[in-house]
Amino acid sequence: MDSIVEAHGIGGQQDLPISLELAISGAVAALVVSFTVLAVAWREPRYDAATSGRPAPAWLQRLVTSTAFRATLRVVGFAVFAYTAMAAVLGRNVLTNPAFGIFYVLLWVGVPLLSVLVGPVWKAISPARSINWVFAKLSGSDPDRGVFEYPERLGLWPAAIGLYAFVWMELVYPHQTDLASVRFWCAAYVALMLIGGALFGNTFYERADPFEVFSSLTAKLSVWSVRDGRLIVRSPLANLDSVEVRPGLVIVLGVLFGSTAYDSFRESTHWVKFVQRSDISGTTLANLGLLAFCVGAIVVFSVGCMLTPVEKVARRELPDQFAHSIVPIIVGYFIAHYFRYGFEVGQQTLIYASDPLGKGQNWLGTGNLTVSYWFTFHTQLLAAIKVGAVVLGHVLGVVAAHDRAVKLLPRRHQLTGQLALLVAMIVFTAGGLYLLFAG
Amino acid sequence: MRRFLATASVTALALTGLGACGDDDGGSSDGCKKSDEPAKVIKVRFAGDKVTPNGDRVAVETCQTIEFIVAADAAGEIHIHSDPEQELAYKEGEHSFKIQIDKPGVVTVESHDLDQTIVQLEVD
Repeated sequence: MDSIVEAHGIGGQQDLPISLELAISGAVAALVVSFTVLAVAWREPRYDAATSGRPAPAWLQRLVTSTAFRATLRVVGFAVFAYTAMAAVLGRNVLTNPAFGIFYVLLWVGVPLLSVLVGPVWKAISPARSINWVFAKLSGSDPDRGVFEYPERLGLWPAAIGLYAFVWMELVYPHQTDLASVRFWCAAYVALMLIGGALFGNTFYERADPFEVFSSLTAKLSVWSVRDGRLIVRSPLANLDSVEVRPGLVIVLGVLFGSTAYDSFRESTHWVKFVQRSDISGTTLANLGLLAFCVGAIVVFSVGCMLTPVEKVARRELPDQFAHSIVPIIVGYFIAHYFRYGFEVGQQTLIYASDPLGKGQNWLGTGNLTVSYWFTFHTQLLAAIKVGAVVLGHVLGVVAAHDRAVKLLPRRHQLTGQLALLVAMIVFTAGGLYLLFAG
Repeated sequence: MRRFLATASVTALALTGLGACGDDDGGSSDGCKKSDEPAKVIKVRFAGDKVTPNGDRVAVETCQTIEFIVAADAAGEIHIHSDPEQELAYKEGEHSFKIQIDKPGVVTVESHDLDQTIVQLEVD
């Protein structure tokens, strides 16, 4: 029986749709808060990345900057990577192979959400960074520097392409639960990361590694940051303001946002029926759907940013300048769509991890545990968490955008200049709630 | 600092509480007791590369008996993407299958041979 590989991704049931009442109250709350922020919030920029926050306690500073701590994280990260590679190469091509859950759930959902709590996780454990470090030490060079300078103009574009390659694999590619596909994807990823690291040094990982870019962006919603070697504690909004603006930032966020929305949309009855009645192949429609959601998100956001009078900055720079404000909206969406799924499949993956070769063994002693379906059975609570996450993400996004607007827009247009962006954000949030309701 | 510690301990307590509750519920979630609800009948017809219904939503209760009455012109399999997965193999002709779903959620019922969703069960 277990030789059958499902063509449906991992994790069985999906969440129930939220009630209409909840969707509407969420949307109304988002609307009210948006205009309240606009009406009563500060008129002078409040967040300054160079000065905000206060130093973390000395013991914490000593701990996180210590070589032992950093080395431990690298060793743990590399061990998990090696273990996963073993399961992917020597294990069996069945959904109980833990490599699937590690790749699609722990890496994609777990790492970014953990980063919201503790800061940039992937940067600390990335196996490619570790290998690059070892190579550099062996050859007596500096892991931070490569043969060339990383081209500024390239910005985050490579990461955007990598992220799209991931979501395409997850949401479009029909053989996404074929172990060989996952193996090939990961091998290509590791190879490109090692070449990039050798050519451009650690800067490459910061801007081109899709998982590091994603995890370091969600980490900006944590209270943790490092400035001039000091560990700083500051409000998530102040931290968010320190997202570095680079070419392609809005593309990265558009891919993350659009793909999450598409994942929800593709399960809706309308889409399922449309695809099945159409003469065009399901894969073609999935390709077009994913692309349309990503491009749509980028266009709606960019137009929202640019429909304003400008003085200090060029109009075309505005989407990247405001892009950090969609990070909380994405995290809200992410929690709404993957929270219960990640909680359950994450546990299931830890159970499967005890038998990486598929021989019925129990290496880690987790093999006999059972999954807690607590959130599945508390449907009301789950729905409230989902709507709460979307609305909270929206509020943080609006506040972050407001602060950036009073910094960048001409003084007399500070409020009216924000209106188009505010409408774009309301569209995102109402759309997200609609998908939770109709999905 | 004191506030940080207080927040941290409350969070830790809350998480522990969640974990504990999870264990309690985990035991009772396996399988269903006898349900008094009358069975929900879903008639499925396979003809050539077509299947009806074709992607409809059907509302059912948790643990309600769902009866699939399958009329098929060729042998095949129905996959039910519940947790755990269930499969119903049928031959040419008319068959009846009864299943139950023990957790709330949306469950896709599909034919892999045709690559089509038959129904989505909205289990509440």
